[in-house]
Parts: sequence; structure tokens; C-alpha cells
Amino acid sequence: MLSLAFTFALLVTLITVIGKDPFDVFLLIYSDVFASGYGAGQTLFKATPLIFISCGLAICFHASIFNIGAEGQLNAGSFVMALTAVSLEGLPFALQLLLSVLAGFLAAGLTGLIPALIKVKKGVSEVITTIMMNFVILALVNYLMVDFFAVKSTLRTVSIQESSLLTKASAVFPFFEGSSLNISFVLAILTALAVYVIIYKTTFGYKLRAVGFNETASKYLGINVNKVLLVSFFAGAGITALAGVNFIFGYKGYYELGFSNNIGFTAIAVSLLARNNPIGIIFSSLLFAALDYGGLAVNQVVPKEVMLLVQGLIIISILASDSLVKNFYRKKGAV
Amino acid sequence: MTEVLSAVFSVAFLTQVFRLMTPYYLGASGANFSERAGVINISIEGFMNLAAFSFAVFMIFTGSPATALALSLLSNLLFALLFASLTVSLKINQIVTGVGFNLLIAGLTKFLMVLLFSSSSNTPRIEGLPDIPFLKSVPLIGEVLSDTLTLFSILLVFVSGYLLFRTRFGLRLRSAGENPWAAETLGIKVRAYKYYGVLISSVLSALGGIWLVSEQHNYSDGMIAGRGYIALAAMIIGKWKPLNIFYACILFAGFEALEIALQISGADIPTQLIQMLPYLITIFVLVGFIGKTRPPAADGVPY
Repeated sequence: MLSLAFTFALLVTLITVIGKDPFDVFLLIYSDVFASGYGAGQTLFKATPLIFISCGLAICFHASIFNIGAEGQLNAGSFVMALTAVSLEGLPFALQLLLSVLAGFLAAGLTGLIPALIKVKKGVSEVITTIMMNFVILALVNYLMVDFFAVKSTLRTVSIQESSLLTKASAVFPFFEGSSLNISFVLAILTALAVYVIIYKTTFGYKLRAVGFNETASKYLGINVNKVLLVSFFAGAGITALAGVNFIFGYKGYYELGFSNNIGFTAIAVSLLARNNPIGIIFSSLLFAALDYGGLAVNQVVPKEVMLLVQGLIIISILASDSLVKNFYRKKGAV
Repeated sequence: MTEVLSAVFSVAFLTQVFRLMTPYYLGASGANFSERAGVINISIEGFMNLAAFSFAVFMIFTGSPATALALSLLSNLLFALLFASLTVSLKINQIVTGVGFNLLIAGLTKFLMVLLFSSSSNTPRIEGLPDIPFLKSVPLIGEVLSDTLTLFSILLVFVSGYLLFRTRFGLRLRSAGENPWAAETLGIKVRAYKYYGVLISSVLSALGGIWLVSEQHNYSDGMIAGRGYIALAAMIIGKWKPLNIFYACILFAGFEALEIALQISGADIPTQLIQMLPYLITIFVLVGFIGKTRPPAADGVPY
């Protein structure tokens, strides 16, 4: 909260410095994001992939796995998801969707399993390996796209049939007219709830948090630490692929190079802002999505890139305020 | 294919390799100073980006390379000071801070770009850092030597080696990364050395960004294109040793030069697969397929 207030203050100063009225800007954001159906729809639409990816990362972070590789994992998953969807055209829609999602999950999960195995077998920190994997996967997908799968002179795969697209929210609630919001938002909420239950209410979740808190102690409690690490890395990475559901099945109907636009890194911040709590992640995703869409709303007054700056500031100030608060209590002897 | 081969075995190609090595070595050497002091700095990419941008901006507004260089290094130092306060003084997780800085700097440059130049893609043209003219006439390697920052990088291989392994400063810096607890009992100001490490890393990676923007003669969004991460890879493959890091950078620069040669020749070899090589090799090295590698013992441990 402290960090949000700090960022807000900084933003107000910034807008004033470049000679605009901050009140105007916030009014614009408010009227566009909250008061219009289109804006609200777009915000929820943009929050959807963030919720998926951050929930996947939250699983990793709870196990103290620093997965910086979501960007690669979600691209591997979404790419495979799109290809599977196209090749399964003609099957009943539910089956096509289920199998494609499963294929995407597996592809992303396996991408996460490589650094996980290296960590478990060789004791090499996952930080560098996941960063390197990002580049390997993106280059590999780029190669496969350009040389084999992309529609000529584009960077996208063949589209799935119109009938295989998920229901748009505007079809049910005319309020959201024109926005790309679709039913995968509901799926994202359900995923967050499920991940919440897994982390906080199951034996596996308990083991996961135990390993994350103290690996050595967990070992002596009889927890199979390696197994927990492998499973949580696999599952966490796999879930990031679900971001593809929103884009492929809910929006465009195909996979496109660059669709992720570094969302795999933004999601790290989203998860941290919520202290890796999946319910909190829903809200921090909404905040980041509102900033993202709000940027478009204020573009005429302040360049929309101001919101990228705000996202960055939020991350740094969360880190700082967290630690400052902790130090403050430590000095008072409360903790 | 023969055209590519003949292009590869030419003086021009070797010259190209040495020049392309420059940003990698500056970034990698910077990262090494930080990690030797025990602070993992994964925002080398961000620091290169910030400096490339600020150098272009200050060039446009002052027109003087010396002023632009000084101001650009200064702005990088300010960010590095913030980075060090968060990671060293507040002991915040270094990886998370690094990711945060990369995002913050990317946002900041994009925002300022639109604000100052009303363009989201690139700045107006700038003059780069000047060459050293009298070295141009040296036969064969004149092209390499006369490039100020390339020459600086080559000298840096020896200077950083000397600094890290032959001076009191280097010994203390390394002790902060190997065993800060022992170092502190010997009266070494561990935190100060960690600050030095981070500050040096920001200056050196800044020079890498400045080389890139000087070569390209304008700043464009995303121009660092992962070179900061390749620098980290080179540091790992070079096992945190200046000369070995230099070899790794030459190897990666060779890949890049090859990629360019292939693109020009129009040969039917996918360049994406060459782009993958630095990262794949790094993973293999880490796994232990190619030699053994060991980071400083207390690398990444807050102290």
C-alpha cells in the first residue's frame, strides 16, 4: 500500500513536471477504464493472461524457484497449442480445446522441466538457465515459424475456424460491446482459485511451501524435495501456457510471434505485488491491466508509455517499502 | 556457401569480430566486477539500454561527445546507486531487483522517447564517440585499434585482470563475494566493496550501450536486443576470469559476425539457429558438459 501511494505521488509529480494537470489525467483513466463498457472489458481482457502467468509463477515462487523463464515457457506452450488446435480441426469443439490446452500445458511444462532437472541433478541455479532458455525457445519458435509454420509473409500460424473461438463477453453482456473480453477470463479466475487451494489447502501445497521456506529442514521431515521442485516447476511453467487460451481461442484464432510482448516478465512483478497469493494476483493483474489500458486512454495528454514507467516504479517501490517496513519492525523489536 | 566461407576467412571478418566483441566484453566485464563482489546483476541489459538512450539524448541536446559521455555515465551511476542501496543496504533479492530495473528502464526510455522526440521507435541521428585517428593508419588492425571503446575493451582485459587479482582493492572486492563474513572480521568494509562492484558494473555496461548507439548513429527501441544477457552468458562461460571472458566474447561476436555474413550472402542457413548458440552453450557449460564452472562462493547472498 505504501508503495502504491509512493508511486502515485511520483506519478502526480511527473505529470505536473511535464506541464499537464494530473487531475485531468486521472479523470481520463477513470472515465475510460471504469465508466465505459469497452474500457472495462479491455482491462479485464488484458488482465486474463496476467492472472494465468502470475499464478503459474506463484507456484514456483512459493517453492523458492526463481523462474525467470515464463516468457519462453508461455511462448512454447502457446505455439504448440495453436498448432494442435489447427491440426485437430473437425473434432468436437470441447475435445479440440481440451487437447490443445493439454498440449500447450505439456510443451510449456517441459520447457520448465529442463532448468528444473538441471537444478535438481547438477545444483545449478535456475535463474541463469531460465533466462538462457527464454532466448533459446524464442529463437527456436522463430525458426520453426519462419521456415515451416507461418502463413506466408506474416509471423502468424494458420487460423482456427471461426466456430472454434470462445464466446465473447459482449455476446452475453452487451455492456462490453466491442471489447475482446471472452470467457477465458472466467477460466483465469477459476485457475487462480484452484492454485490458491493447491498452495494453501493441500498436502502438496504444504510441502511446496515447506521446501520454499527451508529446503534442508524439509528433507529431514521426509519430504522428497527434488520431487516437489520438479513437479512445481513443471506445473508452474505449464500454467503459463494458458495465457495462449486467451489469445488463440479467445481473440485472434492463431499464434503470432511477439504476442507475449514481455508479459512473462511483467507477471513476475504482478505475482510479487500480491505476495504470490493467487487471490491477490487477480487484483494485482487488474491493476496492471488498468495501467496498461489506461495508458491508451491518456495517450492524447501524456504519452501512453508513462504507464510502463509506472509499472516499473511500482515494482521497485514494493521491493523497497517491503524491506523498509521489515527493518522498521525489526529495530522496534516487534519481529 | 563458398562465398560465406571466403567471407569468414578474411581480415575484414576478423576486424568485424573484434569490433562486435566490444559491447559484449564491456557488459560481461561489468557483470564480473559486480558478481566478484557477490552481487548478481541481471540488469546489465537495462544499464546498457539506459546509457545508450541517455547518450543519444545528451548528444542531441549538447552536441558534445565528451559532455554526453559524462552525463550518460552519471545517470547510470545514479541508477546503480539505487540498485546497490536496494540489494546491498536493504538486502532485497538481487534477481527480483534486476528484473524490476530492466522493466523500469525499458519503461522510462520508451516514455522519454515519446515525450522528447514524439516517436516510439527511434531518435534523430547522432554523431557517435569519435575514433582515434592516428591509429587508423596501423596496417591490418588499424580499424580495430582506432575504435576508442574497442581499444578500451582490449586494454580492459588486462586492466581488470590486474585490478581483480593483483591489487589490494581486487582482493578485498573478491573477498566480499567469496566469504563476506570472514572479510568483515578482517576489518574489510564488505558493503562498500559491494557498492564498488555494482557501480563499476554500471559504468562498464554503460560504455557497451554507448558503443552500440555510436555505431548505429541513433537510439532505437529494443536496440540492445539481449546483448546484456549474452554478456552474462560470456561471464559464466569465461568462469569469472577476465581473459576467459574475453575469449567467450570473441566467440559470441564471431557468431554474430557469421550471422551477418550469412544474411548478406543469402545462404539458406537459418540465422535463428546461430542466434541460439550463445545461450545453448551457456546451458551446456552450466550443466558441466563443457568444463567445470564455479561462481564466487557468496554470489547472490545478501550480506
